[in-house]
Amino acid sequence: MITAMALGGYAALVGTAMPPLLSRARWTHRAPVLAVLAWQGLMVTFIVATALTVYHLALTEQHVHEGFLGLLSVCGLAADAPVTESAPTPRDALALSAPAVIVLLPLGWFVLCTWRARRARQRHLDMLALIGEPAPGYDATVVDHGAPAVYCLPGRRRRVVITRGALDVLSDAQMRAVLEHERAHIESRHHLLHLLVDAFSRAFPGLPLARHAKEQITLLVEMIADDRVLRSHSRDALATAMCEVAAGQTPQGTLGAAGPGALIRLRRVLTPQPRPHRVTWLGVVAASTAAPLLPLLVACGP
Amino acid sequence: MVRQLGELEAEIMHRLWAWGRPATARDVLVDLSKERPIAYSTVKTVADILHSKGMLKRHKEGRAWVYEPTCTRQQYTASRMQEALGGNPDPVGTLVSFIEQITPEEADALRSALRAAKKRSDA
Repeated sequence: MITAMALGGYAALVGTAMPPLLSRARWTHRAPVLAVLAWQGLMVTFIVATALTVYHLALTEQHVHEGFLGLLSVCGLAADAPVTESAPTPRDALALSAPAVIVLLPLGWFVLCTWRARRARQRHLDMLALIGEPAPGYDATVVDHGAPAVYCLPGRRRRVVITRGALDVLSDAQMRAVLEHERAHIESRHHLLHLLVDAFSRAFPGLPLARHAKEQITLLVEMIADDRVLRSHSRDALATAMCEVAAGQTPQGTLGAAGPGALIRLRRVLTPQPRPHRVTWLGVVAASTAAPLLPLLVACGP
Repeated sequence: MVRQLGELEAEIMHRLWAWGRPATARDVLVDLSKERPIAYSTVKTVADILHSKGMLKRHKEGRAWVYEPTCTRQQYTASRMQEALGGNPDPVGTLVSFIEQITPEEADALRSALRAAKKRSDA
């Protein structure tokens, strides 16, 4: 019971107390790749800790010693433990299936969301066949639409789409910077990160970790793509392009939920940021790796 | 197969939009056959699909159905792009925008941040 409480406390810490702290941390915007790793570490840790908590609760419910041996063999620690004669009871099945649900829930959502996104992309590609044309001079599809916009369709039949409005307001250098940004998304498969965090927040709706992770990863992924652009393009070209595109497509109606993301990105692009100290790097990588393993040690340890 | 159907839909719509007049499936067939051999029944089927999707309207002239687009290419583009870009693109992972939509106030804040930075670098 004490183990279950310890694990539950750990899950609560990771699921509710840690996210606001990581959201506010200063180093994250200076090392977005590292920050994405840290958020993923928290999400994995939450799943592991919650699954083990549920498992322990189910065991406590049973007051059965077999369950403990079962757990040991699950952890690979009691491979040579005497095999119990009795066939698995429905209660054993419950003890194993409850934590399995915790793990399978986000996975199931991920599969479903991926499938939906693929279908939506397919529909969008069909639409582009109707209204899109190859952009002169760029490796992109241009659509005759007045509002400036640039986006990419990731996946197997990847494509970058620009509107005529974007062609009108952006100079050649600015357009090339924007296209590089989109290519970074496609090549680094950022849509998978979006899908993962979306699946997580659908599996655990209302969890602070889900809300913060979704918000932050969306922004961090943009920063990663911005950084890629700055390797080969000027800060000025990217920053001006951001202003032009963002200002041109001012919403018709309900939007404005975008928040300060665009402004944060612009300030970041304009002012060169020192990369975090190597110790920070090592610390975050070590913590992100250790955090999901800790509950396993607690649950399976002596 | 589905892919090819989609492409044929696009080819038919392109022609009807470009011609700017109602046309029969046979008119389209004649034009398409200049590029590759294609069966009348295929063209007719896809035209009917476009009709059921609401992209084409049709009426009878004599014994043949005459088709024409329900809206211009510009109207179609505008409505579909507003749908694709407006609000939150649903579902997640469909398309990734360069920058999200912002309010006019935020746009002003962006511009002044850019101006301030340029002044700094000029000074």
